[in-house]
Order: sequence, then C-alpha cells, then structure tokens
Amino acid sequence: MKFAAGLALLAAASPAMAGEAPRAILHAPHFVEEAAAAGVAHVYDGPWEHFVGGGVAAFDCNGDRKPDLALAGGKSPVRLFVNHSQAGGALKFDERDTGLSDKDRAGALGLYPLDIDDDGHPDLVLLRVGRNLLLKGGPDCTFQKANRAWAFDGGRAWTTAFAATWEPDAAFPTLAFGNYVDRSAPGSPWGTCDDNVLLRPSPGQTPRYDQLTALTPGHCALSMLFTDWNRSGEPSLRIANDRQYHLDGEEQLWRVPPGRAPRLYARSDGWERLKIWGMGIAEADLNADGYPEYALTSMGDTKLQRLDEEAEEGRPAYRDIAFEKGATAHRPYIGGDRRPSTGWHAEFADFDNDGLLDLFIAKGNVEAMPDFSAYDPDNLLLGQRDGGFVEAGDTAGIALDRRGRGGAIADFNVDGMLDLAVVNRGDPVSLFRNLGNRAAHGPRPLGNWLAVELRQPSPNRSAVGARVSVRVGNRTLARTVQTGGGHASGRTGWVHLGLGTAERAQIRVQWPDGEWSHAYRAFANNFVIIDRVEAEVRYWYPD
Amino acid sequence: MSLFFRGSRKFVTRLTRCINFSNNRARVLRELRRGPMTGRALICAAAVATLALVTASRAQEAPWSEQAVQRHLDFDTVAAEVAAIGPAALIAQGERLFTAKFTRFDGVGRPMATQASIPTKRRRPAQSAFVRTSGPDANACVSCHADPSPGGAGDFTVNAFVSEGFTSAEFDSLDPQFSNERGTTALFGAGLIELLAREMTTELQAQRSAALSAARTTGKPVSAALSTKGVGFGALTAAADGAVDLSGVQGVDPDLVIRPFGQKGVSVSLRQFTVSAANAHHGIQAEERFGARWTGEADFDEDGVAAELTAGDVSALVAFQAALAPPDRFAPSDKSWRAAADAGATLFERWGCADCHRRALPLTGLRFADPGPYDTAGTLRAADVGAAIILDLGALDWVAKLPRNAAGDVLVPLFGDLKRHVIADAAVSAFGNELLAQNFVERNMFMTAELWGVAATAPYGHRGDMTVLDEAIRAHGGEGRASRDRYVEAPDASRAELVAFLRTMGAAQ
Repeated sequence: MKFAAGLALLAAASPAMAGEAPRAILHAPHFVEEAAAAGVAHVYDGPWEHFVGGGVAAFDCNGDRKPDLALAGGKSPVRLFVNHSQAGGALKFDERDTGLSDKDRAGALGLYPLDIDDDGHPDLVLLRVGRNLLLKGGPDCTFQKANRAWAFDGGRAWTTAFAATWEPDAAFPTLAFGNYVDRSAPGSPWGTCDDNVLLRPSPGQTPRYDQLTALTPGHCALSMLFTDWNRSGEPSLRIANDRQYHLDGEEQLWRVPPGRAPRLYARSDGWERLKIWGMGIAEADLNADGYPEYALTSMGDTKLQRLDEEAEEGRPAYRDIAFEKGATAHRPYIGGDRRPSTGWHAEFADFDNDGLLDLFIAKGNVEAMPDFSAYDPDNLLLGQRDGGFVEAGDTAGIALDRRGRGGAIADFNVDGMLDLAVVNRGDPVSLFRNLGNRAAHGPRPLGNWLAVELRQPSPNRSAVGARVSVRVGNRTLARTVQTGGGHASGRTGWVHLGLGTAERAQIRVQWPDGEWSHAYRAFANNFVIIDRVEAEVRYWYPD
Repeated sequence: MSLFFRGSRKFVTRLTRCINFSNNRARVLRELRRGPMTGRALICAAAVATLALVTASRAQEAPWSEQAVQRHLDFDTVAAEVAAIGPAALIAQGERLFTAKFTRFDGVGRPMATQASIPTKRRRPAQSAFVRTSGPDANACVSCHADPSPGGAGDFTVNAFVSEGFTSAEFDSLDPQFSNERGTTALFGAGLIELLAREMTTELQAQRSAALSAARTTGKPVSAALSTKGVGFGALTAAADGAVDLSGVQGVDPDLVIRPFGQKGVSVSLRQFTVSAANAHHGIQAEERFGARWTGEADFDEDGVAAELTAGDVSALVAFQAALAPPDRFAPSDKSWRAAADAGATLFERWGCADCHRRALPLTGLRFADPGPYDTAGTLRAADVGAAIILDLGALDWVAKLPRNAAGDVLVPLFGDLKRHVIADAAVSAFGNELLAQNFVERNMFMTAELWGVAATAPYGHRGDMTVLDEAIRAHGGEGRASRDRYVEAPDASRAELVAFLRTMGAAQ
C-alpha cells in the first residue's frame, strides 16, 4: 500500500495550476480583534463636541521600544495602557495612572506624542474641548502637566487637529493647533470656524510657547500635517477642513517660512479650491519620487492626490487619482447599505510586508446621519504592483460594525507585522493583532520587513521630518517621520517597511536638516537603530 | 571509476541495476520490507518511482514531447508521502530535474525578468533566450554541476557571472564592473553542510539571546564571545535596552545567520540557492518567489508558462542535493604518496591551514527539514507549510560510515569552517580581484572553501582560473597570509608533501 502511495506522489499535480482568487484576497493579512483580552477596554463617547475626535497615541513611554497607548475618551477620561505583549504573542496591556487630575483627563478629543523638550522621553499633546494640555513625559510612563513650565496657554477653543515640525536652528518644535467650530460666535455652528494657531518656541533652554500666530482664516480643521510637498526642505502646513461648517472655506496649504509669518497658498500660487468634509490626512510617497501623495478622508469619496505633472513647476496643483487607483472607498464594501461612507483616520502602512504601501481608513457615521451609511466598516486597501489598491477589509477581519474615528498602526507585539488600534465612537476600542496570512494549516508569515529607529544629537533627537529611503532591488521605499495628520491620532517609534522577498536592504536617511546619510546596510526581519553619529546600524531585539 | 566519488557513482550504478529489475514489483517490495529505507531498498524505490513518473507522463504526452518536466509535484502531497515511505522517490525525481534539459515548454528563458534574486522586470524583452554572461546561460543544472558526476563542479568553461541583476542587468561583457565570475562549486555533502550551518546559526543566536538576557537582568552591557563548533565569530555587546553592538562580529552577517552556500557565503539554504539559480541560469521561475503571492502575476517572466517550478519540484531538487554523498578521502596505493601525504597532513596543521580549513565539524542532528528554519520570504519557509519534508540523512549508507565523536555527533570532514575570511591583502591580492561586493560581502572576503574533494574539483579559486593547488595556496592573502607564507617559505619537498596530502582529498585522476 505504501508503495502504491509512493507512486501517487509523483503523479500528483500541483494545485497551483488551478485558477487562483485575486491576489489581495489570497494573500491579505488576517487580524484578530483582541482588545478585551489584551486588557484595553475603553470607549470614546460624548455629546456633539465629541462627534469628532477619538484619538489615540501610540508611543513608547517606558523605553522598552514597544508601543504603548494613550486613548482619548471624550466625556470619559484619557487612559494610558502600557504594552506588555511578548514578541509574536497575544497583545497584552496594563492600564497605568496618568497622574493627571480628572478634570484634565476629561474632554480630550485627540492625542499626539512628541518629544517637545527633547529629553528623550516622549511628551503628549492633548487636544481638548477647552484648554489643550502639554504633558511632559518622564521615565516609566510618568507625565506632568507642563502648560505653565512651557508657557503654553492652551486656549479655550475646540481643538481637533495638531501637527509639529522642527524649524531650522530651533531647539524645540513648532506646534500647530487646528480648531473647529467657535461655539460662542453668533450663528454658530455654521460659518463660525475658529482660527488655527501656530506656536513657535521662544529662544531659551526650555520650551516656551508664548508667541502665538493666528492662522486666519480657519475653516474648521479636522486634520493638519507639516509636509515637504515640493522637496524644498521647508515643510508647509496642510490642513483638512470640514465643509459641514465652513461656508466659503476650502482645503488649505500654508507656507511656513522659518522666522517669518505663515502665508496661505492662493489661487495665484496654483492652489486649487477643494471643498470636502476633510476629516483626516495621510501622506506617503507612493512612487518614491520625493513628492508625496495625500489621502484625504471625507464623507463619500476619499481623495488621493498627486502633484499634477502638467501643472507649472513649483505650484501646488494636485490631481485626484483615487478613482484610477481604486482608492475612493466611497461606500461600504460589504453589507447592504449603499449610502456613502464617512471616513476619518487615514494612514499608509505596509500591512502585508509586500513592499507596497496599503491604506487604512477608519470609517463610521458621525452619529446618526441619515444620508450616510450606518454600517460603515473600516477600509484596508492593499497596495498592488500596478499602483492601485484592492479592498481587503473583510478578508482581513477588520470589518466590524463600529463607528471608527482615530487609529494607530504599530507593531504592538514586535513581530514585524503591523497591528492596528482603532478608536470607535460609542463602541469599544478595537485592537487588531496581525496574525499573518491565513492558510489551510494556520497563519503563515507575511513578507520580509525592516523596522528602523532614527536618532540624532539634539535638537530634534527623534529626527522629526527625516526621510527614510530604503532600496530593495530596483525599488525605493520612502517613509517620512512626521507628527500630525490622521484623525486626532499620532504615533512615534519604529518606522516600518515591508520588503517583500528582499533579504537585505540599503537604507539612506535624509536627516531633518536636509543632509543625506551614507547607505546603511541591514538584513531583513530585524529592528535596526540608526544613530546619526554611528557608521553602522545597531540591531535591537525584543525581550 | 572514481573512488573518491564512489558514493555517487555507486548510487547511479545501483540505480541502473534497479531499473533493470524494477519491473519485478514483488522483488522491490521484498527489499522495502527488509527494514529502514537504506541501501538497496531506497535506491530501488527511487528507480521504480522514477519509472512510474515516466510512465505516467508518457500517458499524457506524446513520446516525442520536448517538455522535460511533464508533471509538477505538490508540496503537501510530497511531504505526506515522504513521511509515509521515505524520500527515495523524491530524491530520484530531484535527480531527474537536476539532470533534465529544460526547454521553453518548461519555461526556460525569462523574456521580461532579470536574473535578480528579487523578482525584477526587464525594461525591454530579452533579445535571445540564452546569454552566456547575464543569463539564462544553461538549460540544465547538470550542464555546470557535472564533474565528475551530477552535483559536481565544473571547468572554467562553465563559470557563472554573478550580478545583482537590478541595474545593468543585461550585459554582454566580461568586464568585472558588471559581474563577478565564479567557478562552479561541487554540491557533494551539501545536506550536511546546511545542517551544520543551521546548528551554528542556532547556537550563535542563542549566545546573542543569552547576552541580551543578562544585560537586561543586570542593567549593564554584557559582552559575549561568539563561538560555535569551535569556530569563533568574534564578539558582541548587548545593552540593557536590547540593542546590540555588532561591530566585533567576524565572518558572519550581523544577523548571525550562517549562509553556507556560494563562494561568498550568501545563500542560507539549498532551497534558496535552487530558487535563485533556476531563475538566473535557466529562466525557470519558482512559484514560491516569482508566483502571484509576491509578484501579483502567475507568469512573471511573461514567457507563456506559469508555475514553472512548484514548491514540490524545488523540494525534489533540494532532496537530491541534500542526499549527495560527500567526497571520501583517497588512500593512495603508492607508498611514497602515502608517506608524503602523512607528512603533508602534519604540515597542514603546523602551518595553520587547519585554522580555517577545519578537518571536521561536529553535527548533532541528521534530520534535514525542508523548508529549513532560516529561510525568509521568497523562499518557502517552515511556517508556510503545514508539515515540512523530513529527510533523515542518518538513514543513508554514507552517513553511517562517517566517524562520530564521544558525544555521538557526526564528524563532518568538510575541511572548512563555514566562516567568511578576508583572503586578500595589498601584497597578495589575487583573491581580491573583484570590483563588486556581493550581497553586502566585501570584495576581499570569501567563505572558507571546503577542501573535501579538492583533488577532483580543479580548477581552483572563486574564478576557477587556477589550475593547480600550488597557485591557489600562494593566492591566500589576508587572514590566510601567515599560513601561505609558511608554505611559500618552506622547502620544495615540504610544499610537495602538502600537495600530496591535499591530493588525497578526492579521486585519483
């Protein structure tokens, strides 16, 4: 019998000869939602002011290089969860006291991590309905309110967006806050958008933010991002605005020349009027040409903007390529509800480690808007070789019936596969663990990957604004270290790159001052630390 | 008949004998029932199974078909069958693939893909199916790995031209700015070499883990020497925060993965090497790297043939190579040769040759798992499959004959250390004559060549351009310089003794 079986072996035809399902479906990553099991039980909720917001900060607050989580609560308090996940294992977090008063923890819409005082411990920016807070981070996830120490007023606005950049020669970052509706203005809420503000640090040994520059007009910002859109080395401030409340507003791009007053790009500069329900911004250099593309979430179509090749050089004229790339994500991809979607947090990342950037979009009805889809699952648009995207949210297991808002993509269990945290309005936080690709025998690993940490001497030790350029074969993978964008959510830490089948890669870094590094060498499937003062990468291994 | 390669030759001879009587199934089954899959039973099973394949194929294809591979193997089926009846059929099919002359019906040629190990498109279609320099440059594995039998080495005429295949992928020049020229290496004993490399990798990485653990526990940096199977690989320093300073690591990549194959030591496994070589040299593209999962296309090279090499096919090739018997030592019948060789063996130690060309490395485990533990995406990985194919090399006759140490480890007489060394310096630079680094391995650095079989694998050197051992020895610079100088400065008679010793490693010609 055994011998006969042996003959059968050689006659067996490969199943690969049979027809195949679309690649995105076959090879999509598979996630399991395990927030409750991981010890992260949290709901973002609240009245009208909290229909927007719902942010999460993913950052390492205790120096173990594993991303911890701070979650905005709306009417509930901000909560901090410290990551104890084992490498490759189930997600595990423990809640940690923030040390803040109940009053300060309340009313938060969003959170962005950033090392403001450049001491090596990430700080937190809390966006709130009312006074914003700067929290100075210390060892082992301790925080102190630093508004007074850093001469930061915090204002009284309804703040819904944030971004930061390190301007040349500055010891500390420049902060931008985006505000929403001025509720006290006559006629509110329509046509009463508050101004946004820019805060440059005053000279000195400690951060002082007592010089406020109003960015007028404001058009009810819901996301903002410093971006070097024209490869000038001078980031501009891109702002997504909500047409729900502005009357004659539009999307905005502010020129922010160092030491000088910001100035809006206007029609005469080539800026074209775009009115959307701008909720979130994500930036990625999809074709690695140095000119970023932008995903702009909205109600209905998501925009995917690329600098218009036919426009006059140096002008910020963009073409929407979302339709041709299959990235409009304009209505739910499963379920019977054909009404338009409502998009919030957007972020590019390589979830399947195939070397192609994917696009995550958190989706969810504002509250109970009848013209928009009620069941509106989050999107996982997998990047394809032809530059397009294919929806894989359902296959991947992230299509929950929850109203998504903010999000953070990070490798919580340091296994090289990106996981996902989504804050949901009125529903529990979702914490998706990436198990890899689902095969008949169980999960199988994704492509090769690399995670990069950048360091440089002060100022700007964590190299905000740096560009990471990884060469694999004939392809260049580009990432930028940024603070801002998304929807009320930010992250710091490892810069993750999927490498596909590449076993090794060369990494070059354009440091924030514009200087390019030499090519560092790294082997795939490793965490590597690039210190500007060291010639070689150092490898890091999880506990 | 080569005595040195008698294992391989014997296999072929017995295979032929089995084919001659294998129509008598009862006789074969009697062989199989005698016990483990060793010796004759294994060979006969292979022969019968090979015949079965031919028969099955001919049932579908015209007898005059020019398609060399008419059936492809499914990995899971193969794994189950090997677990049930042993690897003989798989090895036999591997040999068939290794010796097959692939044709365009099998997918030879890669009109729209380069030779790169990462799937890479050409800018323009290839003008011809074969190009001697940038490839494809062969339609059979055995067209190069042939001397003195399938799996062997090759003459200068079958040198390969190694380039990354990304920029300037198409070149018709021998100019070293485009490629490195490589002599064909013998694959005999490759299964044992891969097993050694796996064990060494595991041990080195365990030493790294231990240092990290100690650093985290104490809160202080911990330095650790890296050493496995008696071969030192420098040292590392682990910091309490989990970062590792690898500046002191020597002879291995910073990820501490021993990559034992290729003259620079750049391929981690026979599987990885097979997948890369099939594309580079034949334009035959393995599904596990060039298929839809990683390229989005079933026919990445656009030659009209999809799934040119399935995971099961690759496993067959791996099994064949892994089961190739290593070279034996040759016992000269000539008394003067024996005496000279004995003296030469002493000089080999005294002059420090054995510091790198270690006589033997101990191997603990003989179960060859395919896929192996250290392959990465683009080569089938252990976690990509439900169950790996297990080849028990310990069941092979020739493995049983290898000596063991007191711990029961098999002493693999490879005369190597599976470590890279700088082998050129300013004064003695012949081995540093390349212009291109390869896979992050610098120009003057090569893996210690295993000397088993060296007498039968001329010409020598990574370019295969040294006809005698004396030339190769004199070319050792860098870390080999001191030993080389002792040799050069020795009397003629002593040098001859060393050569006499080396000439026992392989067949009498």
